[in-house]
Amino acid sequence: MPTSTDNIILSFQDLDIRFTLRGQVLNAIRGVSLDVFRGESLAIVGESGSGKSVFTKSAMGLLDANGTIAGGHIWYDGKDLTTFRTEKDWLAIRGKEIAMVMQDPMTSLNPLKTVGDQILEAVLLHQDLKGEAAKAASIQALAAVGIDDPERRYKQYPHEFSGGMRQRVVIAIAVACRPKILICDEPTTALDVTIQAQILDLIKNLQKKLDLTTIYITHDLGVVANVADRIAVMYAGDIIEVGRCEEVFYDPKHPYTWALLSSLPQLGVKGQDLYSIQGTPPNLFYEVHGDAFAPRNPQALNIDFVERPPFFEVSPTHKARTWLLDPRAPKVEPPEHIRQLREKGGAIHD
Amino acid sequence: MAKYIGKRLLRSLLTLFLIMSIVFILLRQMPIEGYFQNFEKMSALQIKVGLQQLGLTDPLPVQLANFWKGVLTGDLGVSHKYRVGVDVLEIIAGKMPLSICIGMAALCISLLVGLPLGILMARSTRTRWKLGDKLGTVFVVVIQGVPAAIYYLLIQFYFSRLPGASMFFYMDQPTTWILPILSLSLGNTAYYAMWLRRYMVDESNKDYVTLARAKGVPTAAISRKHVFRNALVPLVQFIPTSVILTLMGSLYVESLYSIPGMGGLLVTAIQGQDNTLVQALVLIYAAISILGLLVGDLLMALMDPRITLGKKEGGR
Repeated sequence: MPTSTDNIILSFQDLDIRFTLRGQVLNAIRGVSLDVFRGESLAIVGESGSGKSVFTKSAMGLLDANGTIAGGHIWYDGKDLTTFRTEKDWLAIRGKEIAMVMQDPMTSLNPLKTVGDQILEAVLLHQDLKGEAAKAASIQALAAVGIDDPERRYKQYPHEFSGGMRQRVVIAIAVACRPKILICDEPTTALDVTIQAQILDLIKNLQKKLDLTTIYITHDLGVVANVADRIAVMYAGDIIEVGRCEEVFYDPKHPYTWALLSSLPQLGVKGQDLYSIQGTPPNLFYEVHGDAFAPRNPQALNIDFVERPPFFEVSPTHKARTWLLDPRAPKVEPPEHIRQLREKGGAIHD
Repeated sequence: MAKYIGKRLLRSLLTLFLIMSIVFILLRQMPIEGYFQNFEKMSALQIKVGLQQLGLTDPLPVQLANFWKGVLTGDLGVSHKYRVGVDVLEIIAGKMPLSICIGMAALCISLLVGLPLGILMARSTRTRWKLGDKLGTVFVVVIQGVPAAIYYLLIQFYFSRLPGASMFFYMDQPTTWILPILSLSLGNTAYYAMWLRRYMVDESNKDYVTLARAKGVPTAAISRKHVFRNALVPLVQFIPTSVILTLMGSLYVESLYSIPGMGGLLVTAIQGQDNTLVQALVLIYAAISILGLLVGDLLMALMDPRITLGKKEGGR
């Protein structure tokens, strides 16, 4: 996997994002740094409200009107996207460089326009084509996402498509923009389980064929295991652990990652209650002190409540923000089933 | 489609039948004093003869049957009071063109001013101070909140002092047409502005707008091609309502400015208990309203591909 710095396509540095809600300030993203490598497939996982969508939307200038980037940088192609102010700046990025597939295919297409028109709109904007050639390219895009009889389907409206087919259309629109990065914001959450794998396969194939960098946003670890090269775990507006897929799955270091993996239904024992994380995420309207997960972590150290841990490197590709990795910290072992996971994983990867 | 329209037309006729029968019966419950100008001085025999001439002595069902027979043969009877002995349709035919002319002019102004105002307000909701939206809302609230009767009077009172304007309507002075048409259009203007703004704000918060932004469509194009177009669909349903509103407004505005139109006529006819004339006018007003509703539904079906009329397939 590429890891050298000149292979970084998108880089977030100490990003702070704030929202103003009824006069109160919510710190949605708190000093997050993350590098995205060219051609990789990165998954950002975290529970609802952890800020994963907001984080990626900031790279497209799609934050809601009450949200602002309060600090940090987003580097893309030598430009700092946080300095973009006008719509004209962003139009050079949106679609052209970074495209997006959204969660709910039922609502992400305009119900009153034919799917053909909606793909054509993207083709006309981003491919140097006009008239019949543009139309042919749009039909081609429909065929490329595996829709049968694309010429007839081109003239149909979204309501004439099933959920899975609509998500294919949304992907066709995103791909028709010819982007370098494809952000998939929970691309399968709203879909039937049987369709989910098909859609993930489609994205994987397109990624290979078109040399895309993909960023998945999801809370479904099953999806992650399927598609991701690397995983970034997000909690309360911060990335707390990042590493290659097998590193995070089989050798997790942060207590939150342990808890998250423990909640996997696949790890449950029949007849026993599923594991669930006690407590609730911190209220981001208030300043978070120390490790944001400490109040929910039964093994939290005293320092976890006082000072925010820095990133400790586990391997060149794996790092985690937890005091447990400090040489002075007492040795806290992950729960039994997490260790078993590691052994199993070791067996798988030997 | 044709089958659906046929069904709807049949149902419309039934509605019309019910409305007319109810109005007919209600009119027959009016005190008989109203039919005669010098009731106190008339003898019982004179009154009986008078009522007989008006056809009011027959049992109610017979009267009603006669009325419907007349309607089917295109005979709505003659006026008894307004212009004695003249066919009511002839009276109305002389008045209707002017009313339609004024009503349509008002409706056009409502659309031409109301829609742009709605767009302006919706766009302004995304700006920092939302000034356009706030000013527009003040206008809408005043027009919707203050009873029309009051602002009609205020407009007539204050604006008729402007050069060219007048308290009354004169056929041959076009400047005197402005105030009544303007008064008549205000209600609908506010109505269109309010609902277009609301639907545009609704639409612009939908996912497909985010997707359009994400694929790099400029805001102005999104607003035009996606948001405005989609917000218009629920709005076309209001067109019939606004036709009805214009009709209702014209009843009052026409008598206010002494416009020799249909609206003023209905008020006069009711006051004089000129039953045949009232019936004919109500029939026309009801028919226009019902037709308006039908046209509104058809327009909506034309604009929204998800609506298929009469067929049981597709959609969700």
